[in-house]
Amino acid sequence: MKRFLSSITVLLSLALAVPTAHSASTIKIGLMAPITGAFASEGKDMRAMVELLAEELNKKGGINGTPVEIVVEDDGSEPRTAANAANRLVSKGVNLVIGTYGSAVTEASQDIYDEAGAVQIATGSTSVRLTTKKLPNFFRTCPRDDEQGRVAVATLNSLGFKKIAVLHDNSAYAKGLAQEAKAEIEKDKGLSLVFFDALQPGERDYTAILTKLKGVNPDVIFFTGYYPEAGMLLRQMHESKWKVPLVGGDGANNIDLVKIAGVEAAAGYRFISPPMPGDLNTPIAKNFLEAYIAKHGAPPSSIWSVVAGDAFNVLAEAIKNVGTKPADVSAFLHTKLKDYDGLTGKISFDAKGDRVGDLYRLYEVDNQGRFVLK
Amino acid sequence: MEEFLQQLTNGLAVGGIYALIALGYTMVYGVLRLINFAHGDLFTLGAYLGFTLLASFGLSGVIGGLAGAGLLVLMALIFVGLVGVMLERAAYRPLRNSDRLSAVVSALGASIFLQNAMMLLYGARPQVYPVRLLPTASFMLMGVEIPFTRVLLFSSSLALMFLLFWFINRTRVGAAIRAVAIDQGAAKLVGIDVNRIISLVFLIGPALGGAAGVMVGLYYGQITHDMGLNYGLKAFIAAILGGIGNIPGAMLGGLLLGVIEALGTAYFAVGWKDAFAFLVLILILIVRPTGLLGERVADKI
Repeated sequence: MKRFLSSITVLLSLALAVPTAHSASTIKIGLMAPITGAFASEGKDMRAMVELLAEELNKKGGINGTPVEIVVEDDGSEPRTAANAANRLVSKGVNLVIGTYGSAVTEASQDIYDEAGAVQIATGSTSVRLTTKKLPNFFRTCPRDDEQGRVAVATLNSLGFKKIAVLHDNSAYAKGLAQEAKAEIEKDKGLSLVFFDALQPGERDYTAILTKLKGVNPDVIFFTGYYPEAGMLLRQMHESKWKVPLVGGDGANNIDLVKIAGVEAAAGYRFISPPMPGDLNTPIAKNFLEAYIAKHGAPPSSIWSVVAGDAFNVLAEAIKNVGTKPADVSAFLHTKLKDYDGLTGKISFDAKGDRVGDLYRLYEVDNQGRFVLK
Repeated sequence: MEEFLQQLTNGLAVGGIYALIALGYTMVYGVLRLINFAHGDLFTLGAYLGFTLLASFGLSGVIGGLAGAGLLVLMALIFVGLVGVMLERAAYRPLRNSDRLSAVVSALGASIFLQNAMMLLYGARPQVYPVRLLPTASFMLMGVEIPFTRVLLFSSSLALMFLLFWFINRTRVGAAIRAVAIDQGAAKLVGIDVNRIISLVFLIGPALGGAAGVMVGLYYGQITHDMGLNYGLKAFIAAILGGIGNIPGAMLGGLLLGVIEALGTAYFAVGWKDAFAFLVLILILIVRPTGLLGERVADKI
């Protein structure tokens, strides 16, 4: 028992010793990310991304001569752990924080940062309500859920589709997107909504729905659900030789879709989605991703870690201009930062802290079953 | 009219699958008065077995075309049938003389076990049959485009059903099954080995479910570990609709349910498709608890 106690003491003193090992003359930026839990693969990419950006920045002398230090806290992919992580960061005196991925997880930490007066830049949290609370120091570098509906309808319109059928699957995400799209279609006099209904996800046979859709003769079907159903729809449309284009949302952008539908049936399928990291084609993004691949062997698996990188970039830009006081940083991001060249394109923020500017792109499946940026 | 006919064929194709699965429920119920809740998962097992044979054992290179598909169905039929027999030994026979609720709980347990075992073995992501063995041709009939595979799907489920019907009604073993269904004690007295008959029922019912699983895999391509829940539930409704315990009833109930769903989708709301299926179940239970073709047995449950 005595030995056990002493080993505990050693461990504790080690744990306590670690933070003091850092020097005080650095700019501390917090990263709250899902290092463990359901989103762990995203969290690891976020960490790799932000740490590499900081490393490169420090090689160039940091911000105005002061090196940057990234303080990582694990949000465990769940709200309760996120609240603890936020408290830990705040009590360490970190008041500029990047993170996090899941909307519910971010929401649990929002008030803690707000009360501490810290700036928080969320990365993958697309839920609309996060910015409707009007928190003065909350930002995000990802688009909002309702943005996708707007972009989708604008894209369909520009492709020349006028009679639009909207199909969802009754899940919170797909139904929300479908309702956004519906509202957008109804706003535009030139477009007409000819069908709006839900299929039952997880089924195999969608021919009854397809036959009904055929009856209303749409120019295009916009499906807001997920890839297993999108794959089945494509397969069964191909089988019945019905050639109306199907366009999906970003829930239907998994490459398994081509396997389910078959290459022949999937060819020509289009979907609206944030770009995949490999498709970011600005010189800044290309150079950085090359460095990333050189260090980690593979590109990040999704766009969400790249927007975490952008959160770091805008923070660095703000600190360079106005220093590290959270209120100043916040004011700078709200009003002064215009069309900043981020990794994922131009970045500005509106008064609510939402990112302004299009992130969504149109993809098409080519006749070899690959996703190609249009 | 054209749309109506198209929906009718859509409904019949789905209904054929429901009917084939419903037979498994109805046979087990007829003999043991037990709802085999694991039946839907035996159906899934059939689908995954076909997938394994094609993908992992490399059979996709060896067999091709219709004969290959038939062989695959046959293999799943035999294997899933054997699993059914083992399931009866492990989960139902020890509870044969205890009250009915224990057997139902055991059936639910078997269902959860099978479903999770398949998830652990094959993963939670959907799997896809690697090749298309079935031809993609189609033909026109009265202005309706009918894929050839649909006809094949429908006619093979009909063929399996009639084979079963003939077996039960025209053979000596079939007569023994009917005897055990009516009175186990009396069947024993006239020299029928009741245990063997029950094993046989657990061979045939799951075998048909397994065959349906491979057929779904071959036709629709995508399979998931939890698809047995939905198909199983619908087939269960079909069995009750036709009169549980009654073989022609299960066939009729399955086809009828498929058609009702398709027409409900066509002429009411798409999102309410499952609601129609359950509404039909409620109406049948209120108006005619024994089902459409069920016998009037006062003390069944």
